[in-house]
Amino acid sequence: MSPQEHTAEAGDHDSRTFAYLVVAGILAFLTAFEVWVSYVHALQPVLVPLLVVLSGAKFALVVLFYMHLHYDSWAFSGIFLPGLALAASVVIVLVGLMVRFFAGF
Amino acid sequence: MASHAAASGRKGWRMSFCLSNPLPCARALSPRGRSMVNNLKSYLRRAEFAALVAMPVLLAGCNPADFPASTFAPRSDLGHWVQGVYLETIVWDSLILALICGLIFLLLTRYSTRAREDQPGPPPPHGESIELEIAWTAGPALILLFIAVPSLRIVFRSQPATPPPHSLIINVTAHQWWWQFDYPGLGVETADEVHIPVGRPARFLLNSADVIHSFWVPGMGGKRDVIPGHVNELTFTPDTPGEYIGECAEFCGLSHANMKFRIFVQTPVDYANWLANQTSGPRNANQGAAAAGEHVFLTSACTTCHAIKGVSSGYIGPNLTHFGSRTTFAGSIYVNTPANVAAWIEDPEALKPGAQMPPLGLRGKELDQLVAYLESLK
Amino acid sequence: MVALPKHIEAEESYLHGGGILSWLTTIDHKRIAVLYGVTVLFFFLAGGIEALLMRIQLARPDNTFLSAYLYNEMFTMHGTTMIFLVVMPAGLGFFANFVVPLQIGARDVAFPRLNALSYWIFLFGAIVLNVGWLYNMAPDAGWFGYANLTESYYSPGLNINLWTLGLLISGVGSVLAGINLLTTVINMRAPGMTFMRLPLFVWSMMVMFVLILVAFPPLTVGLIFLAMDRFFGTHFYRVVAGATPLLWQHLFWLFGHPEVYIMALPAFGIISEITPTFSRKPLYGYPAMAYSTALIGFLSYGVWAHHMFAVGMGPAADSAFALTSMLIAIPTGIKIFSWIATMWGGDLKMKTPLMYAIAFVIQFTMGGLSGIMHAQPPVDLQQTDSYFVVAHFHYVLFGGTAFALLGGLYYWWPKITGRLLNEKLGRLQFWTMVVGFNLTFFPMHLLGAEGMPRRIYRFSPHMGWDSVNLLCTIGAFIMAASVAILLINILLTMRDGELAGPDPWDGRGLEWKIPSPPPAYNFSTIPIVRSRDQFWHDKYGYESGVVPPAPLPAHENEDSGHIHMPAPSIYPLLLALGITMAVVGMLDWLRVALCGAALTLFCAIAMAFEYREAGSENPEAVGIFTGLDNRKVGVWSFIASESLFFASLIATYLVYKGRDLGGPTAETILEMPLVIGTTFILLMSSVTMVLAQEGYRRGDRTWGLRWLFLTIFFGSVFLAGQVFEFHTFYTEGMSLGTNLFSQTFYTMVGFHGAHVAIGVIILLSLVGASFTDWFKERHRDIAVECAALYWHFVDIVWIVIFSIVYLMRSIAKA
Repeated sequence: MSPQEHTAEAGDHDSRTFAYLVVAGILAFLTAFEVWVSYVHALQPVLVPLLVVLSGAKFALVVLFYMHLHYDSWAFSGIFLPGLALAASVVIVLVGLMVRFFAGF
Repeated sequence: MASHAAASGRKGWRMSFCLSNPLPCARALSPRGRSMVNNLKSYLRRAEFAALVAMPVLLAGCNPADFPASTFAPRSDLGHWVQGVYLETIVWDSLILALICGLIFLLLTRYSTRAREDQPGPPPPHGESIELEIAWTAGPALILLFIAVPSLRIVFRSQPATPPPHSLIINVTAHQWWWQFDYPGLGVETADEVHIPVGRPARFLLNSADVIHSFWVPGMGGKRDVIPGHVNELTFTPDTPGEYIGECAEFCGLSHANMKFRIFVQTPVDYANWLANQTSGPRNANQGAAAAGEHVFLTSACTTCHAIKGVSSGYIGPNLTHFGSRTTFAGSIYVNTPANVAAWIEDPEALKPGAQMPPLGLRGKELDQLVAYLESLK
Repeated sequence: MVALPKHIEAEESYLHGGGILSWLTTIDHKRIAVLYGVTVLFFFLAGGIEALLMRIQLARPDNTFLSAYLYNEMFTMHGTTMIFLVVMPAGLGFFANFVVPLQIGARDVAFPRLNALSYWIFLFGAIVLNVGWLYNMAPDAGWFGYANLTESYYSPGLNINLWTLGLLISGVGSVLAGINLLTTVINMRAPGMTFMRLPLFVWSMMVMFVLILVAFPPLTVGLIFLAMDRFFGTHFYRVVAGATPLLWQHLFWLFGHPEVYIMALPAFGIISEITPTFSRKPLYGYPAMAYSTALIGFLSYGVWAHHMFAVGMGPAADSAFALTSMLIAIPTGIKIFSWIATMWGGDLKMKTPLMYAIAFVIQFTMGGLSGIMHAQPPVDLQQTDSYFVVAHFHYVLFGGTAFALLGGLYYWWPKITGRLLNEKLGRLQFWTMVVGFNLTFFPMHLLGAEGMPRRIYRFSPHMGWDSVNLLCTIGAFIMAASVAILLINILLTMRDGELAGPDPWDGRGLEWKIPSPPPAYNFSTIPIVRSRDQFWHDKYGYESGVVPPAPLPAHENEDSGHIHMPAPSIYPLLLALGITMAVVGMLDWLRVALCGAALTLFCAIAMAFEYREAGSENPEAVGIFTGLDNRKVGVWSFIASESLFFASLIATYLVYKGRDLGGPTAETILEMPLVIGTTFILLMSSVTMVLAQEGYRRGDRTWGLRWLFLTIFFGSVFLAGQVFEFHTFYTEGMSLGTNLFSQTFYTMVGFHGAHVAIGVIILLSLVGASFTDWFKERHRDIAVECAALYWHFVDIVWIVIFSIVYLMRSIAKA
């Protein structure tokens, strides 16, 4: 590995460290916001979609930056994302089916 | 003793089925035949159906009437709907299978080179055709569409959002391993045998007292699982009087095989008569062995589990108010004869593994009196 | 073992040398495949004998050969054995293990010791499942184990305990094998072996590995609930607490239908190898075949509820699942037509493997067509739980899959042993099998049509089922004779069968390039792949007009020519023993469970540092072709699988939310301030974790350790907070089985906590390693990254749980 490459990579990683800290700030803010939202009475009717979006954003930030999917080979996304998609659909479909079942469709 | 009972039971059944079973194929065909397409369809159905009936007949070497639980002898609206879809699918399936087998037959006759297998020449030529690949993707898709449309129509028709008006509601409670039938509002409670009038929608509301069972009357067109803590429903309108076998289709423990029932589809008059008898109390046993038997019943453990209207009020086991009027008992696996009932009371476990009724220790005269009493409860 | 062909250097064969101990400690994928093969054969015979006993019982009406109890044990164990201990391990453990590394040009699987671990876990799970026979307490509630019949109230004996724990154990083995082999296919391919050059067998297997990863977690969760109901007084499936036994059916079939394809896909792969080889033509429509394989895998995950049409899910749900189920017929049709087109116009060499392949195509089609019937909900209402369904799935699983597996056995047997099976006996065995199979199972369609339900130990003579049942029994004995011929064939040819040579069938895949049996290291030089069917083109050249493509550039970490195979290890066997003890200890032997847990922990850590002690890294940790690290691929596969595990737990929590019949609820009992604090701390531990990782990447030990310690501290604070929370709830009177909320809450949050605890242990072991030579190694930051990925995953699971459980606490129902 040539010295230039080395420096370039080091620079890349410095900017990564910066990104990690920014993400940490956003995560802390989003969590605080989530907690605040859950206590606001006026927001109760839209609480579920709101929280899904907020925690979805937190989830995505951790996966993209801390778990490096943003930087890494597409192969890792290719392994994880289908599993995640199936997991999400399992929750939605299973809950949907069972709720209809309890309600006597 | 048990085997004697079973033997006599078998004989009785055979007779009852020979009398009550109509030919499975007698009314299998749709009466509609408006257009050419329908004619063709019905022709295909006829051919397929003939093959399907012929096969077991050939194999079993006997009369189709010997299959009392056949799924190909529908006697209700639901049964006819189901069979329409069933036969249509069979026709398509047979065509596809014939195509595949034909191709493989041609393949084997034309390309088999067993004789010169050890002299490899140059590899045979090969090529691919995108048209062919599109054809064998789109073809099956089209066939599936033909199959799916009528089938999904039946799915919705057989599970209507609102139940048909004037339907007869019957509450079914499945137990390990027998069936309890209640006619709400009529004060009738029976076990393992249920009577319904022909031509009137019967709405079975299914619930379970213990594990999951499944309520299946092949002649009426289908099954529905019986799930504890949930009321399921199966509705059909029978169109032919007769006696139909019902079975538990979901494995439910030790005696799953011994959990049958019977549906008696009756003419409105017969049904009214039956109902009148059932709604009255049991006949008074005021003389002879039966009266002594009532005393045995009252002084033994019977009363803890069994109800007889005006006599006892147990609820764990089947209601015995009109026990004598039933043709079978114990999950509808034994014919209701004094010998069978006596054998049952002596040792239920021997006749039905896992039976929850304990042996009562009744012998000889007491047993005979008790049996006489039970048989008198017409 | 097998007498070695003389023309092979005896020392080179993987079968050469070593006593029992070398088999107990082996980590060679081919030896492990042989271990799987022998085990599978044993259980195939056991399951077959169970089937024969059932057929004797049903040979005539009112038979008393077996009692009801014994018969129920028989059909339960026949199904469980054939599915979990025969067909699935035959594909996953035997064929995939032996053939996949050879076909992709690898020297072993990605994680050789994990491979051995998978086998031993599978074996111990199989023993737990079967040990009940010794006490006449074998499982007896069906292979599908429908709750609530499996609850201790209805099945109080040891039977279902053994079934639950045995399946839990063997499921762990299957998932580990799936992760291992998926990593192998993704990352261990020879240079130039792109996905569109993979043999179709590898394609099918790859889809199957993915299915294993996503299908087993729901089963595991369902079994955990069942075990908790039976051992710890919860009521996940009990009506008295407001729960429903239907939850089990959903979790089970979420696993159960993909499982059908987990069993069928290897068969598709085998047929896709046999038909081109024996027609001397390339596979027809390769891209369509590859994509249809993937499509089948995907669709198979969305059809589970077609097993539940009779449940009464409502017409809309019925229709949706009917449509998705029918859709599977399209890619399956593509496969069948493509196999026929492959043989069309070829030089068909009618050897036993091809005969099995042709029988497969016809019989599997029949099974598929009857499948289309009960994909129609109305027809299904007549067919389900009747003998029609028994006929259907035996046409799929025996006439289809098992025929393909037998064909594959004849096909690869010379590669495995170096000797050919006798062709004449093979043909005899084939024809008796075809006759026996169809005589046994075709009449079962008729029995179903005549209304005979499944799983009945006796039937009455007046039902018209007598003669057809007798016919089935006769067929079953013909099949047994056929199996006996196979065993005779194996025994006869084992010592002095015809020598196979490297390429007995004029094959196409890389496995035929190397000696039979292969040397321990498979390939002396890693092959370079320039096209599909590379070995065929090596032999026959390219067709005129086709310009052979230039080899793709390999990753810089190229094959050095120096063959270094990892050393054998005893830890996989001990670790499997530890896991088994820990699980079986739930049968009320606390000490056994604790010893097992301790053994597991010890072996896991010992294994992690084993290679370092031996003074070398695993030489193939980085893919030659992809440049990715095996461990990262493996961890990501594991995380994908874990997503489904937590999804099942979360779905259960939501399904039961607000259905309690009294007792505390999320709204009344959860204390927010503490959890908000610990949630912040866990989130911040992800930040400290990435910073620690940067330190390790730069080789800055002080920096790395500082952040690592902080991460461990944060994790421990989170755990302490959770312990405190649980303790508070407990003292407030909410124990595990109090109500639906308590059991779903404790289970989901508790399993998450257990993951955090394991994460802390992993990080502690990294701290320890940092003070040793390990720190100087090249790939240390990858090890830290793998630990970090796991840690972050646990964090994102908490992000979801925190929202759903805590922030949505006041939402009444799902």
